[in-house]
Amino acid sequence: MRVSKEWLKEWIPVEASIDELSETITRGGIEVDDIIDYTEGIKNLVVGYVESVEKHPDADLLSICRVDTGGESNQIVCGASNVRADTYVVVAKVGGRLPGGIKIKRAKMRGQVSEGMICSLEELGVPEDFVPKEYQNGIFIFQEAYEAGSDALEALYLDDQVMAFDLTPNRKDALSIAGAAYETRALFGGEVKRPKSPLTEVDGEDENFKVTNEDAEAVPYYGARIVKDLTITPSPTWMQIRLIKAGIRPINNVVDISNYVLLEFGQPLHMFDKDNIGSEHIVTRFALEGEKMTTLDGKERALKDNDVVITNGKEPIALAGVMGGAFSEVSEETTTVLIESAMFNPVSIRQTSSRLGLRSESSIRFEKGVSHEFVNEALDRAAYLLEKYAGGSVTGNIIYDGELNLKNSEIDVTRTFINRHLGMSLTTDEITRCLSRLGLSTDTDGESMTVHIPSRRDDLKIKEDITEEVARIHGYDQLPVSLPEFTRITPGRLTDEQKKIRIIRRQIESLGLSQAMNYAITSRSKSVEFTNRTDGMELLMPMSEDHAVMRNSMIPNLVDNATYNVNRQQKNIHLYEMGKIFINKGQGNLPDEIEMLGGIVTGDMNQTDWLGAGVPADFYAVKGIAESIFEKLGVIEEINFRQTEGFKEMHPGCTADILLGDERIGFAGELHPKYASDHDLGRTAVFEINLDRLLSVKQGSIVYETLVKYPSITRDIALIVEQSVTADELISVIHHANAKYLEDVYVFDIYEGENVEAGMKSVALRLTYLNKEKTLTDEEVEAVHKPVLTALEEKGAAIR
Amino acid sequence: METSSIDEIRHAFDEALKSVEHKKDLQDLKVEYLGKKGKVTGLMKEMKNLSEEDKPVYGQKVNEVRTHIQGIIDDTLEKFENEALEAQLKAETIDVSLPGRRFQLGSPHPLSRTIEDIEDFFIGLGYRVAEGYEVETDYYNFEALNLPKSHPARDMQDTFYFSDEILLRTHTSPVQVRTMRSEKGGGPVKIICPGKVYRRDSDDATHSHQFTQIEGLVVDENIRMSDLKGTLQLFAKEIFGPDREIRLRPSYFPFTEPSVEVDISCFNCRGAGCSVCKDSGWIEILGAGMVHPNVLEMAGFDPDKFSGFAFGMGPDRVAMLKYGIEDIRNFYTNDIRFINQFKPTEDGGVHNESI
Repeated sequence: MRVSKEWLKEWIPVEASIDELSETITRGGIEVDDIIDYTEGIKNLVVGYVESVEKHPDADLLSICRVDTGGESNQIVCGASNVRADTYVVVAKVGGRLPGGIKIKRAKMRGQVSEGMICSLEELGVPEDFVPKEYQNGIFIFQEAYEAGSDALEALYLDDQVMAFDLTPNRKDALSIAGAAYETRALFGGEVKRPKSPLTEVDGEDENFKVTNEDAEAVPYYGARIVKDLTITPSPTWMQIRLIKAGIRPINNVVDISNYVLLEFGQPLHMFDKDNIGSEHIVTRFALEGEKMTTLDGKERALKDNDVVITNGKEPIALAGVMGGAFSEVSEETTTVLIESAMFNPVSIRQTSSRLGLRSESSIRFEKGVSHEFVNEALDRAAYLLEKYAGGSVTGNIIYDGELNLKNSEIDVTRTFINRHLGMSLTTDEITRCLSRLGLSTDTDGESMTVHIPSRRDDLKIKEDITEEVARIHGYDQLPVSLPEFTRITPGRLTDEQKKIRIIRRQIESLGLSQAMNYAITSRSKSVEFTNRTDGMELLMPMSEDHAVMRNSMIPNLVDNATYNVNRQQKNIHLYEMGKIFINKGQGNLPDEIEMLGGIVTGDMNQTDWLGAGVPADFYAVKGIAESIFEKLGVIEEINFRQTEGFKEMHPGCTADILLGDERIGFAGELHPKYASDHDLGRTAVFEINLDRLLSVKQGSIVYETLVKYPSITRDIALIVEQSVTADELISVIHHANAKYLEDVYVFDIYEGENVEAGMKSVALRLTYLNKEKTLTDEEVEAVHKPVLTALEEKGAAIR
Repeated sequence: METSSIDEIRHAFDEALKSVEHKKDLQDLKVEYLGKKGKVTGLMKEMKNLSEEDKPVYGQKVNEVRTHIQGIIDDTLEKFENEALEAQLKAETIDVSLPGRRFQLGSPHPLSRTIEDIEDFFIGLGYRVAEGYEVETDYYNFEALNLPKSHPARDMQDTFYFSDEILLRTHTSPVQVRTMRSEKGGGPVKIICPGKVYRRDSDDATHSHQFTQIEGLVVDENIRMSDLKGTLQLFAKEIFGPDREIRLRPSYFPFTEPSVEVDISCFNCRGAGCSVCKDSGWIEILGAGMVHPNVLEMAGFDPDKFSGFAFGMGPDRVAMLKYGIEDIRNFYTNDIRFINQFKPTEDGGVHNESI
């Protein structure tokens, strides 16, 4: 909503500057997000009377005009094709200025002196979209006579500033000059003056015209007036300019009056060419499912049964509140109009306009609900303006069906409620004064009060709404500052899981991985990578192919991040991300949301170039990172890595499932070399872990053990086994031998090559034996170690 | 008793020592004199030829020579070892200006840092951190927040839908509703809800279809709007610096009544007007209000007994303001040159200001 200060002042006397007005209105709850000042950069602009126009002798497209600019007659060369003698125009005199820093100087154009410039509206700073068709690509011509030499900005109603309101959805009351005036009154005081409509009703042959609302839910009230003997002309300059300032392009007097009254009262009107309605009967109803009509833009529309239509009793002549029909629209030949001023079902209007993509000044007001009190006032106002500015005669009374609810609604509230809610101690008097400034009258009884709400403020429904009106008019700066007094003290803390998430983040960052954050909505093709799932949650209306499906894995995004960085001359990229993946349980159901940890390592870690030292981006790097997290969380003993071919994006020989007990909670491995090179990456390792599962393991407190006083004894074993035998399998055989005193087993060397048969490998293990009670002897160790060797041999390992 | 051979040996050793240059020469010399077949050992063999009364005197003399030679050998050996060690240390001197062995350090994401700072402030006030689903039902995202299907304010938040009823949450408010429900109508509820939210926006420098939000909710028996103002004033001073002031402006959210926008005085120009605050001296940072009675009621709280306040802010915006980040897409592009700028520890600075 754009509110002209000049127009507003006609409704309410306010002397504040535009800056003060804007600031106060903004602080009152309606944000003025822009001020358009039409006087900015303009100097020496006068009304000129064009005395004569002659062709330029040396230029076909130029005219030489004699223009009276007030007591002097100047020659001005003009390039506009619509310039003509005996008109009043806008002249920028020599020494004048126009927006954009243009200075007007005495000039010679193709040998002819030009003293000044005849202006177009665009040159005065009016956006082209709002300039009437007749003045586009040409100069502006006044509709009326003015005194030559008088201030043109004033004559144009452009000696003015306009506030652009950024309205919140609840403030539909401010979608009109009336509403802006009442808000201004609440903030500055004064009285609102509504414009009068002293129309003359004449008898006419149209008294038989009828209106019927078939469904009060669709149309609770429909009012109409008939105005005949009209002449379609341009509307007066002041009306055109006020429309322009409000962001509406003037068309002709009938259409302009309809828009003008909409801006005045927030009540949308529709003008039908009465002779083309096709009957003497307006019937409103819900449309039939599949019913067809052609709207005035020439498009045939298939209707739905929640659309509201205006019909002539046989067929739709308008899509209520959204768009008129083709054959009943006002044209240059129209002489009699039927003005519609109605209330329509707001939900229907909203659904229809959004379905058809037809949002207009009318539909946005209807879908928020129009005020009962302005419906007939606007109808009278439009009829009066047609009488005055289109030469029409208003026949008969308002023709209507349905009921307007003109009674105020009431809200009961107490002073205590308001004060307790706000933390203030206002008196009843202070409260009623705030409300009265808004035009809300109050009956008080002790500390109870009944507030009367006019229909233009039917957004006020409950006592909290009254609290808000009091608070904002009283001013939030007056609101004291306090802290809550709770009924019970509750400690603030993180949950175990939230704490562990923070610990993991610190840990993984200390290992050199930086935190990434990616979009959870991804492309269809990425949603099937690094997963067995092929059915991601799909958006009904994705904004692009790249963001159409919820992710099934963290890895595709991280690969993209690595590629992005590598392509920007970054060599070593180590990233992790924590976030959710979404397991589809059917489009109509909530998915399983799983918190995941993903990581990617490409390029060496801990690289010290001059020493030639670094950790390669291989399987063991990401396994080590994962293990450090498991160790920190105290679950390392329950974790196993099991060889798997993994997904097709992974290297089939260098990938492992991560098991917590017997449950797979993730994977780690190297990217398939082909996949990596397709993404401009070299050797790259990734891992992904289900954090929800990992964090569900509860540890409790640390169990302390007394230090053992006795020394341990180690035994090394070198085994020759087939290459396919894993270290874990050998260790598992050792554990199964159940050797007493065995504390620890680990692999300290793997060897293939010379002295080892092809297809075989040598594995060296170190076993540590410890008796916590006393010092072990060699004999005792030998006795328990022998069965271990036997067990290994039985499983096919040769002891070297 | 003939002892001149003893003196000769001593003299010969002293002479030989002069030509010793290496540890090896010294060891050879030691063997030559003190070894099993050495010269001093040879002297002892003469003992058996001496009279009983000469033996102690002779023995004493030989021992003197032995001690003399042993002492010199030990001293010289130590000297050689010291020289060798010194040479070794000298050879081992390094260029300490070369880079250390790298233990690389990753960086937290700037949004994580911002969210954690805000979480920690409210934890200090006794709040808990509540999290919830990112894919939600229409009921929890809208209807339970006083936004029935036909509500025009639904247009404020363009929504990604999966079906008529399933959508991506447009705010973290569903977490508030779910938390209130789990409290079964009993207070106090004191939570903040950080998380990712989604709106159907075209991505540009200031819009992102995915961004983060932190909302707070307090519900108890006597919560006043002045408590909201006090809490947010404390927040502004703690997170944006002790000189910050806040300003409440009336606004509208369907789930709160009254609703306000909260501005903080500009930390960049301290209210004088600059490009950060668009010359107004104030920066819009939060939306807030008193919980709408319909919302309380739908979540199982008696609105006649309980009241509450709620507020919400965007860590993306907070971080953009705090660090002067020019484009919201930087948060989601994951350029390591961007992320790694947020590695170091932050503190209040010399003036004890967060910003």
